[in-house]
Amino acid sequence: MKRLLGVALGILTAIGGFVDIGDLVTNAVVGSRFGLSLVWVVAVGVVGICLFANMSGRVAAASGRATFEVIRERLGPRAGLANLSASFLINLMTVTAEIGGVALALQLASSVHYLLWIPVAAVAVWLVIWRVKFSIMENVTGLLGLTLIVFAVALFLLKPDWGVLAGQALAPAVPDGETVPTYWYYAIALFGAAMTPYEVFFFSSGAVEEGWTVKDLVQSRLNVLVGFPLGGLLSVAIAGCAAVVLLPAGIAVTSLSQVILPVAEGAGKLGLAFVLVGVVAATFGAALETTLSSGYTLAQFFGWSWGKFRRPVQAARFHLAMIICLLVGLAVLATGVDPVLVTEYSVVFSAIALPLTYLPILIVSNDPQYMGQHVNGRAVNVLGMAYLVIILVASLAAIPLMIVTGAGS
Amino acid sequence: MILGDLLGTPVRDADGGRLGRVADVRFVLDGTPRQLMSEARVLGLVVSPHSAASFLGYERINLAQPWPLANLLRWRHRGSYLVLWEDIAMVGKDAVRLRPGFTRYSASLEDGGRQRAGDGK
Repeated sequence: MKRLLGVALGILTAIGGFVDIGDLVTNAVVGSRFGLSLVWVVAVGVVGICLFANMSGRVAAASGRATFEVIRERLGPRAGLANLSASFLINLMTVTAEIGGVALALQLASSVHYLLWIPVAAVAVWLVIWRVKFSIMENVTGLLGLTLIVFAVALFLLKPDWGVLAGQALAPAVPDGETVPTYWYYAIALFGAAMTPYEVFFFSSGAVEEGWTVKDLVQSRLNVLVGFPLGGLLSVAIAGCAAVVLLPAGIAVTSLSQVILPVAEGAGKLGLAFVLVGVVAATFGAALETTLSSGYTLAQFFGWSWGKFRRPVQAARFHLAMIICLLVGLAVLATGVDPVLVTEYSVVFSAIALPLTYLPILIVSNDPQYMGQHVNGRAVNVLGMAYLVIILVASLAAIPLMIVTGAGS
Repeated sequence: MILGDLLGTPVRDADGGRLGRVADVRFVLDGTPRQLMSEARVLGLVVSPHSAASFLGYERINLAQPWPLANLLRWRHRGSYLVLWEDIAMVGKDAVRLRPGFTRYSASLEDGGRQRAGDGK
């Protein structure tokens, strides 16, 4: 019974933890401009993140090494440092976006300007990281994030023409008024939102935090393989809501209030209450994960002691690094830059940086000296190579498409 | 001398002909046993004619998966070989010069690198 509860809890946490500000904004933007014609990208992204999380989780459980420890060992100091710099900066961008997202959601709930909420959000993130136990932190934000299911409820209550939605999803075409490069630019953004690198830093470091061994692999695989696809369905519901309400009205999403507008229309005040709780929980949870990831990546690369399982005094540099990252994020947001805009860029840059972390994990998960008998099977390797190609193409195409489309405008 | 600076340095034979670049430095653990492990001793340099980039672990011949990657990396390092430290005449800033009549040993590692020094002739 206890084991069953553990599995259920893990899956629910994975669903609630899947959606962050990147998924919220990108899915709503894409839904409002392209309908459901990019839903296939969410599917590709979800399979990809399942694959990546499965490999990095297995590496962590079999070798006791988290992602950046592996990268440092396999790529050496020089290539490893270049890799760290890129991954770290993009992660910092995501931290900024998530904290901005928390503040924007609190503004919607309270009518107090978001700039006033930003220091509150950052201090709250720091306090949780400093004080709260890893498992409690994970489970509370994950479970509260489940309230985002209200997007799916709202979609049903909006009584859409399901035939039209299915047509958009199953026979993807570039809608009138949008260009082919813009379509592909948003395809990469959506891919980056689903397959954000921090999810994997966090997942593999979390495996070390919770002291996984190969015995825990079955449960972790179950969490990922059930939880992430259901989280992907939430993403589709967000896009669906936008496609039903905002696309016909000609509203292209540029703010968080527009993301949740269809929920208010479909599910009323109660729905609005749920979605606000969900957005705060999802962005706050992701703010914790990204802030921890920035500490994890730095500490793992430089060989500092790290982890929430240690008291802060025993992992001082790890905690100090996270405080500095939060302050940098605060400083960026204090300039008044639009957090939604930061989010839109962060998901594309995530896609650009993805090969840097994906390739070393793919290689090491095949290395019997790290993995023993738990090396990748044939099916995982075929899929792994296919995704290496997809990830490389998305990464290389992102910058040219960004220039050609003026970042999707 | 910093080892990192040596990586990528061009390697020339005694007549000054270009052989490739230093892709790796090979160590053996056969010194006095210490608390954690034996002292490491430089066995030699791995010279790669086509690429000075890392082998990413694929110098160990028991590592063959995923095969497109393994083959690609082996192809990038085709023709690479190990030169023993004794066969090196001079390590300079711009080039490493080898002694005349140096021996090319196989650069690949068998059994995950656990074999004895100089086995792979």
